[in-house]
Formats: sequence, C-alpha cells, structure tokens
Amino acid sequence: MKALDIIKEANQSLLRNKLRSFLTILAIFIGSFVIIISTGINAGVNDFIDKQMNSVGGEGYLEIMNTNATQQAAAMFSSEVQEYSEEEEEQSTDIYITEEQIEKAKKIDGVKSFDALPSAKAEYLQLVGKDKKIKVAHINLVPRGNLNMDLIAGRKADSDSDNYEIILTQEIAEAFGYKGDSLDDILGKKIYLAIPGTIKCYTVQKHSDCQTKVEAEIVGVQAPGVLAMAGSRVNVALWNKMSEINNEGVPKENTLAVQATADVDPDKIDDIKKEMEDIGLTSMSLEDEIGSIKTFFDAMLTVLKIFGGIALVAASIGIINTLLMSVQERTREIGLDKALGMSNGRVFATFAIEAISLGFWGSLFGIIVSFLIGQAVNFVTHETILSSLPTFQLIIFRAVDLISITLIIMLIALLAGVLPARKASKKDPIDSLRYE
Amino acid sequence: MTENLLTVRGLHKVYGKRDSKFEALRGINLKINRGESVAIVGKSGSGKSTLMHLLALLDRPTKGEILLDGTNTSKLKQRQLNKLRNKEFGFVFQQFFMNANDTVLNNVILPLKIAGVSAKERKRRAMHALTIVGLESKAKNKASDLSGGQKQRVCIARAIVNDPAVIFADEPTGNLDSNTGAKIEEILFSLNREKDITLIIVTHDEELAEKCDRQIRITDGRITSDEDIAEERELAEMAQEEKEERHRKHLSGDMDADGLRDDATVSHVKVKEVK
Repeated sequence: MKALDIIKEANQSLLRNKLRSFLTILAIFIGSFVIIISTGINAGVNDFIDKQMNSVGGEGYLEIMNTNATQQAAAMFSSEVQEYSEEEEEQSTDIYITEEQIEKAKKIDGVKSFDALPSAKAEYLQLVGKDKKIKVAHINLVPRGNLNMDLIAGRKADSDSDNYEIILTQEIAEAFGYKGDSLDDILGKKIYLAIPGTIKCYTVQKHSDCQTKVEAEIVGVQAPGVLAMAGSRVNVALWNKMSEINNEGVPKENTLAVQATADVDPDKIDDIKKEMEDIGLTSMSLEDEIGSIKTFFDAMLTVLKIFGGIALVAASIGIINTLLMSVQERTREIGLDKALGMSNGRVFATFAIEAISLGFWGSLFGIIVSFLIGQAVNFVTHETILSSLPTFQLIIFRAVDLISITLIIMLIALLAGVLPARKASKKDPIDSLRYE
Repeated sequence: MTENLLTVRGLHKVYGKRDSKFEALRGINLKINRGESVAIVGKSGSGKSTLMHLLALLDRPTKGEILLDGTNTSKLKQRQLNKLRNKEFGFVFQQFFMNANDTVLNNVILPLKIAGVSAKERKRRAMHALTIVGLESKAKNKASDLSGGQKQRVCIARAIVNDPAVIFADEPTGNLDSNTGAKIEEILFSLNREKDITLIIVTHDEELAEKCDRQIRITDGRITSDEDIAEERELAEMAQEEKEERHRKHLSGDMDADGLRDDATVSHVKVKEVK
C-alpha cells in the first residue's frame, strides 16, 4: 500500500463522518486561529518597530539622566514604606546633572559628544513675514551623532552648526499651508520662535513683552511617528539660545540640566553605560526604550499564544476521542484489512495520518480565516486608528510562521493520534471480524 | 500428478489460561493437495472455524506446524505471513465484509491496494475479476446497493483478484437463499475446476459439503472422518475397469489359475501409477 493511498484513504474516512470530522477540525481551527493571529500581530509590531529603528538609526545615541532622578521617578510609583534618613535625603535631592559629572562623562572612552540640556521652551512659531502663529506645546532637540530623523522633506538639523536650524513636524508645516507637492517650498524659509524669559514674564505688563523672537531656518519636515521624541526639533545651537533666554536672571545653580544626550561609539555602548552608572548617571539607548514597548507586546501576545495552546490541547483530546470512535466503528474493516494482509504498521499509519490530516485541515482553515480577518483588520485600522502611521501593518503573515505553525499542529495531532492508532494496529483480525 | 499444498502436523490450539482454558483443536493431521476442494464440516464449537483460521494463517497454533508449499509457516515473521496471505489466499465470508459506502470496484481492489499494485494495473485486474463473476456492469455502483447474492459475488471477485492458490470460504452461502446460494457454489466450483484454485470451505451445510472432493469432519477438535470422494471415485472407476478387463479376458477364454493372479498384479501397478 502506497503512501498516497493511505493519505487518500485517511481523508476519505474523515469524509465518511462529515459532522464529527468537522467539529474536530473546528476545535483545532480555534487553537490555530488564535496562534496564527497573535503571531501575525507579533510580526506586524516587530516589523514596525524595526522600521522605526531603521528610520531613527540611533545606534550610539544615549539619553542620560541623573540616577537620583530616575530613582525618584520610580519612587513616585512605589507604595513601599521607607524610613526617613537625613543623609540619604541630602544625597538624593540632587536630580541635576552636575558640572563634575559632565566633565567625567565627556572623558569616558568612546563618548564623542555630551550635551547637557537645561530645559528650553518656546511659545509659538511664526513664519517670517506672515501673521499666523502656531502654538508650541513641546520642542525637542536634534542630538549630535547619527540619529536619523524620519524626514519627508529636507535634511536633518545640523547640531554641529552655529546657525539656528529647525525641523517642523508635518502637521505644523501643513498648518502653515504647505502640504503635498508644495511641502518642499517651506524648506529654507525663515521662522520666528517666540521664546519667553521666565523671570521677565513676572515683571512685564503685557505678556508679549517678555518674549524674545529668534529667527531660525526651516531645514526639514518630519514624518509622524510613535516614538516619544515627536514634535518639532531644533539643533543644539538654537536649543542653547532658547535655554539662555528662558533662564535669564535665574541663578546659575538652578539652571542645571536634568537631561543630557550623548553620541557614543556603538560598539562600546555597554561599557559606556556602566561607566556612566559609576558617576551617577543613568543612560538609556533607543533599543532600551523600544525594548520596553516590545516587552509589553511580547508579554501580551505570549498570553494569547498560551490560550491558543490550551485550545490546541483541548482539540487534541477531541482528536483522540474522534479517532477512538472511528477505530471502534471500523473494527470489522480493520479485521478485513488485516486478514487480507495489511501489516500492523500500515493500520497504524492509516489512523496516524487521519490524525495528521485533521491537524492539517484545522490549521489550513486557521490560516485562511486568519488571513481574511487579518486583511480586514489591517484595512480598517489603516483607515481609522492607524491612519497617521501609513507604514504600520498591524498583522503580518510570514510564510515561515504559517508553515511552522501548521507543522507543529500536525505534530500535535500526530501525538494525539498515537493512542487510537496503536489500538487499531493491535487488533486481532479474527476477533475484529467477529465484532458486532 | 497431485501436488501437496498444505500439510498439517499435530495441530493444537488452546484458548484462554488455567481455569478458562479451552482446547479448540486436539491434534490435527492433514494433507491438502493443490486443486482439491475440501469441506470442513462440524457442529458449531467443534473447532472447524479455528482450523480454518490456522490454515489461513490468520492465527498461530499453540502446538504443531503448518507447511505451505513445503515452507514451515511457524518460522515466518508476521510481515511474511501478511504477505503470504495477501498473495496466496482469497477469503469469502458469510457476512461478506464489504465497505458498504465504497464502490464495488474499490471493494474488489482492496487486496491489490494492500499489495501496493499501481492504480492502473489494479483497476484492470479488478475489472477482470468482476467479469469472471459477471458483475463488470456494477463496478461503479455503491456496494450497499447490491443484493446479497451480488455482494457475495463481489466478495468472490475480491478473493480472486490477486490470483490466489487457495480460497477460504467461511459459510459462503449461509446468508443466501438456496437459488442464489447455488449460483455462488457454481462460481466457486468452476474456479476450482478451471483455474485449479484450491477450495477450502467451512460449512455445516451437508449438501454443499457433498459437492466437494473431500469432507473433513471435525468433532471436539479432532478429525473424526476424512472422506476423499475423488479418491473413492477414482478407486471405484479403477475397480470398474478391472472388472471390465477381467470380463473381457474371461470372454477371450484366457482363464486359468495363474491368469487371475497376473491380473491382480497389473491392477495393483495401475493404482500406484494413478496415485
């Protein structure tokens, strides 16, 4: 008896009991569907994060805070009761990055640049020669180094330059009336940043009197992204100017930086982080930041996959049950097959392949339905919640995943089929033929 | 002229253990020649079915041995036994044992499928077998649509599709009315005569048993009589010939004391030759 004959036969006997086979396949389908969908989401999220990583580049980019600051932030979310200690308090109040730390950090092997950033803010943006003012909620820095911006026009602001340069977000550029094909026209235009002087604003009558307008050049337009560093970005020279204006009249010790950015040698990043730790600075790379997003998704999807796995375990009990019934029903048939010379091995194979077929059909339907639902979900999310992220596909099906899931499910089905198939192969032909 | 096919020596079969021990066969010795038709008769529980199962290599004896074509089957592995059954034996059962949902053709094909014959070849051979039993027109029908007699003919086609040396028939007419039963018997005996297939029929139908060359009667696991009708017939014919010759000689006047003894010698030689 040839392998093809056995496969055909196995599927024919599944067709003999259509409803029973269908229900068993349905059970396998539920498990495979859950696993395929969660694997698809996993792939989609990972793909998106990878794309973002690539667009941001950022190997060797570090964001740095005083370790005390990160601990204080952590303490805010902690319900742990601690005893008050004067000493500890004295040490830990200092959340600023000190001059001493900056000097030490700059000397660490592999650190190319280290910019301590005092806070800086602007109130509105206004194109030179135009009336429209756009409020600025948040402004970011273009750090030194090879951090790529996800630009849709122009170039990255040059932080090594002394000129004041700014990158606008796509939304702000559009608000100024530059969209689509005319987006490039905004490049090279001059723009005012209205920068408040914190102390000055307490003393003046009209708020606008405490604002200093600084002129900068628009060099690029940035695409929307999900990473935390969204918002318009300025180069280091402009940032420092903004900070200087903001802090005019404030005592020096109160204008220290809370945050810093460093451009470091990517190969030495782990050592550098350790050395920073030694001087009381906690540094975070882009990988670390993205890693936490990844960890969240991974955990969620692992839970989903476990549910899928549980469904599959239940389904394999269904397979055992179905096949045991089938063995019993076909006792005389098995007896005849054996009388006519079929070996125990072939009888085993017939039922084992029946089990594998159940697994195969279950996962195939799982693939088909997941694919259809996945396409629909991708379409709907594209139009709605993810419309601002055109490159993000929530669910991605990779052939490798689909094939390996199918193979694993077929293997599980085979394991489930062992018991009934053994039972069938051990049957005595004479007793089986006499079975009523 | 005759060729030995099956030889059985000191066959014992015991079922169960200790208290529930039951001795189905208690020492069977038997020789069956190629081309014979043999009826194994006996009451139910006599051990006739057990004997057939052992002869058909469906079960192994507790003691004793079965030689098929001179090969001691007790020395064969299960795999070889399976192959032997598939190639050398055909089975016809009282209850037919067909896959009712499948087509007639597929039912006939089964032994060839098990043997691993290619799809084209097995279809050709199955159609040939169906032609022999006169059911080639029903090949595409579902097995469940057939009448009892037709079903048994399909089973015969299935039994001969692999060109077996022996057909084992277990009460082949037991489930049929006398007319259809007669037709089945006719097919079986013509296969026996024309294709020289050895026929071993287990039955309690005396009429059917009478039609076989030889009847082996089993009682309580032992052979109580083994009548070789063919041999009897041959001996009877020989005796007749002898008589006629003597009569002829008598007419020619060659009649003395010596002549009688000479005739006896000649006939003795003749018998030997025939055997």
